Amino acid sequence: MAALDIQNVKKTFGNVDVLKGINLSIKDGEFLILVGPSGCGKSTLMNSIAGLEEVTSGDICIGGGAVTHLPPKDRDIAMVFQSYALYPSMSVRDNIAFALEIRKVPKAERMAEVERVADLLQISHLLDRKPSQLSGGQRQRVAMGRALARQPKIYLFDEPLSNLDAKLRVEMRTEIKKLHQRLKTTIVYVTHDQIEAMTLADRIAVMKDGIVQQFGTPQEIYDNPANMFVAGFMGSPAMNFLRCELTCGDGRYAVRATTRDGREYALPLVHADSRLQSWVGREVVLGIRPELITHVIPHKADADSVARFSARVEVAEPTGPDTLVLVELNGQEVDCRVDPREQAPVGTDMEFMVDMSKAVLFDPETEQRLL
Amino acid sequence: MTAHNMTQPTASPALPDGATSAAAPARRKSSCGDRVQRLLPKLVLGPTMVTTLLFIYGYVIWTGVLSLTKSSFLPNYTFVGFLQYEKLFDNDRWDVASLNILIFGGLFILICLAIGVLMAILLDQKIRSEGAIRTIFLYPMALSFIVTGTAWKWILNPGLGLEKLMHDWGFESFTFDWLVDPDMAIYTLVIAAVWQSSGFVMALFLAGLRGVDNSIVKAAQLDGASMPTIYRRIILPHLRPVFFSAFIILSHIAIKSFDLVMALTGGGPGYSTDLPATFMYTTAFSRGQLALGSASAMLMLGVVLAILIPYLYSELRGKNHG
Amino acid sequence: MAELTLNKPRFTLGRVFVYATLLVGVLFYLMPLLVMLLTSFKSMDDIRSGNLLALPDVFLFDAWIKAWSSACTGVACEGVKGYFWNSILITVPAVLISTFLGALNGYVLTKWKFRGSDLFFGLMLFGCFIPFQVVILPMAQTLGWMGLANTIPGLVFVHIVYGMSFTTLFFRNFYVAVPTELINAARIDGAGFFTIFWRIILPLSGPIFVVCIIWQFTQVWNDFLFGVVYSGGDTKPITVALNNLVNTSTGVKEYNVDMAAAMIAALPTLVVYVLAGKYFVRGLTAGAVKG
Repeated sequence: MAALDIQNVKKTFGNVDVLKGINLSIKDGEFLILVGPSGCGKSTLMNSIAGLEEVTSGDICIGGGAVTHLPPKDRDIAMVFQSYALYPSMSVRDNIAFALEIRKVPKAERMAEVERVADLLQISHLLDRKPSQLSGGQRQRVAMGRALARQPKIYLFDEPLSNLDAKLRVEMRTEIKKLHQRLKTTIVYVTHDQIEAMTLADRIAVMKDGIVQQFGTPQEIYDNPANMFVAGFMGSPAMNFLRCELTCGDGRYAVRATTRDGREYALPLVHADSRLQSWVGREVVLGIRPELITHVIPHKADADSVARFSARVEVAEPTGPDTLVLVELNGQEVDCRVDPREQAPVGTDMEFMVDMSKAVLFDPETEQRLL
Repeated sequence: MTAHNMTQPTASPALPDGATSAAAPARRKSSCGDRVQRLLPKLVLGPTMVTTLLFIYGYVIWTGVLSLTKSSFLPNYTFVGFLQYEKLFDNDRWDVASLNILIFGGLFILICLAIGVLMAILLDQKIRSEGAIRTIFLYPMALSFIVTGTAWKWILNPGLGLEKLMHDWGFESFTFDWLVDPDMAIYTLVIAAVWQSSGFVMALFLAGLRGVDNSIVKAAQLDGASMPTIYRRIILPHLRPVFFSAFIILSHIAIKSFDLVMALTGGGPGYSTDLPATFMYTTAFSRGQLALGSASAMLMLGVVLAILIPYLYSELRGKNHG
Repeated sequence: MAELTLNKPRFTLGRVFVYATLLVGVLFYLMPLLVMLLTSFKSMDDIRSGNLLALPDVFLFDAWIKAWSSACTGVACEGVKGYFWNSILITVPAVLISTFLGALNGYVLTKWKFRGSDLFFGLMLFGCFIPFQVVILPMAQTLGWMGLANTIPGLVFVHIVYGMSFTTLFFRNFYVAVPTELINAARIDGAGFFTIFWRIILPLSGPIFVVCIIWQFTQVWNDFLFGVVYSGGDTKPITVALNNLVNTSTGVKEYNVDMAAAMIAALPTLVVYVLAGKYFVRGLTAGAVKG
């Protein structure tokens, strides 16, 4: 177990810059998730940490020591692969013991370690099987077992759950979380699934185009996205982006929203201050998550930050606990999350309230945060 | 996952203490071992790279050089320009050989493709004992061309072979003496070569047919197409890549045909069944005209390349687009 | 697609046509083998009085015995047995060595690529296509320089050199489908180049070894060109000896001996084909990808 320090790492394939100067640093025992759409460089970064790919420049330190130019075997890491990469010709036992065997650990110790890991992951009954005789979930466990077998400084997980079906994925997610809480190991975990990122991580690095767009705790990233990409990528259903005009009256800032039938509302920006002055009268992008636009809840509706409006329900998508309602503001679609019992029939008007205390503003050109 | 396990990380038998202390010295000397590890792939592939470059490309160049000299029984590096090629084109025997390869190659490829496609389609009709039939169609491919030639030489024997069989069966006027007829002997080569290789073409096409997506056929049937139409309009066009690779393989076999001629006709009667491959051999080894033989070998290579390069080009292009 | 063609095979005219054509095909392909076998068991009188497909009056093994131990192949009259052993002595090492090297090459070309290795593979692929006529003269001279002319080691060497393009291609195409993550996992586990090859790659390679060995075996055993050019009097392979036997013009033609000798030359590959036909076909079609 050890801290991980990545300093200005760049990677170029031919004339394509895959990593454009990555800086990340996590403490001993932290769970770091690299998340982003495919092609964002997260897997390349993972492989660079593992030593499977040479970086073009920059430094990688594990536990304080530079490993940038060490081969994988000398970095003291373990990795769980997307395809599990279990050795097909070896039994589960030999798969788990392989790394120890290569490192010339005596046989008795090896077997004891296999037993320990198998116990931990509840795969003791599978030890004599071949990988081809295992189900997907069992293979996944064995792959984790292989990584756990030799207490390395850092565990690397490369999309380990993406080959499992939805139900199993949720189960294994919980199990990985429990495992991390129990073992307190340093983990770097690559995924393209933002829910996995939110649920598992201590720290998330959201990547796109070889650049870390934002690095922070899951809550920071969810509540305070650095730009429209992060805001749109994290959270499901995605954050609403509403193009609207910024207004100011009596030092109070607001954005203007117009419904389809021409009713006009001013949505107050409670955290805004004079730094926004130059934007008054110009178009900005309001970012507001669907769960902040709800049916009217009486005891919350009177707060300063809350605005109310009424709009026609265009589409309703029940999810069970909530219903997602689509309305139109400023000619754009907006998702709202309402209680199923409060939802007005499709085609009729409904009263909504917006909690603007967590609203964010973006520059429509640069897509960076304004507020 | 029990309480017992929760204490394990600190009590593990294979804890990093041992590993790290073992890894530390390894790290210090790692540079040397790592360099070897890094070089290993090149070291392993190296001998093959050297032999390939030397024994294939080097030798092609060497043969090319020889073809520009006046070597006869022994290499002689007095250069005479393209004289050998001029001689070659003036050489009656070479003319026969090149005409023969056109006749032989053309018929061989066409007939093999026709039989191969037909048999593959027939075998694809839910045939009883398909496996056995396939095995029988394909076994000639396992034989040496020398064996094939020997067998067919006997079967086509004008006195005791097929002719006598037909006579015994009552066809008294049947004559079959192609083997000794200078005008017809080339066709005996076609018969034997087709016998040997058409089963292989069948296997290729059968594999191709089995790979055609069933739902395409179903869709066409729902559209009301008859089975022959489906084969003609949908399945066979789908197998175009198989046609191409079969064509390449067959033309390759045709150009390299040497053993079959040696065993079946020996190039005779006279030199009426000479092919470029046998021409090259007799010229270079029996008649001691190394340079002329080299020139003919270079022309053979030229023909192979002329067929191959467009094929490889389209293959690679296809791959890049895919 | 078959079940669609004829949802339930019925006795129809089309069906009769299909089976009749296939039967003709079967007879066409079987006939030469049958003729060879029948003729090899006949006496010469029997051959002259009967016809190709007539059964022998008496089944005689004389022709086989003569072909094996006393028929004339050119000057020598010792049958083909010596040449049969020559072929074994050439084939076994040539096949094993070229297959093993092909496996290593394929492993490097797929899992340890380096700058230029793809280009090299392309160059090597080309080696599969060249007509060997274009290399035999320089090779003859080289073998002479190395003192390997007319020797069995010389022939082994030639077969390895020119067989390697194919074996490499076989293994390369097989290993390309082995997930690279497997190699990465082993590297992280601390295994090096050869450990990964022995422990991870080789145990997966059974089928391709069979395919490759069968392919190489038939290629080398059936070779005639290299055999006739690079072998000496005592080191001829069986194909060359058979050709000499058949085309020796001295004395009376003994067709039964010719056929017995041809059968002897054909048997090893035929046996392999019967025993492992599936792999043989796979090799052929894999070779087809290369063209």
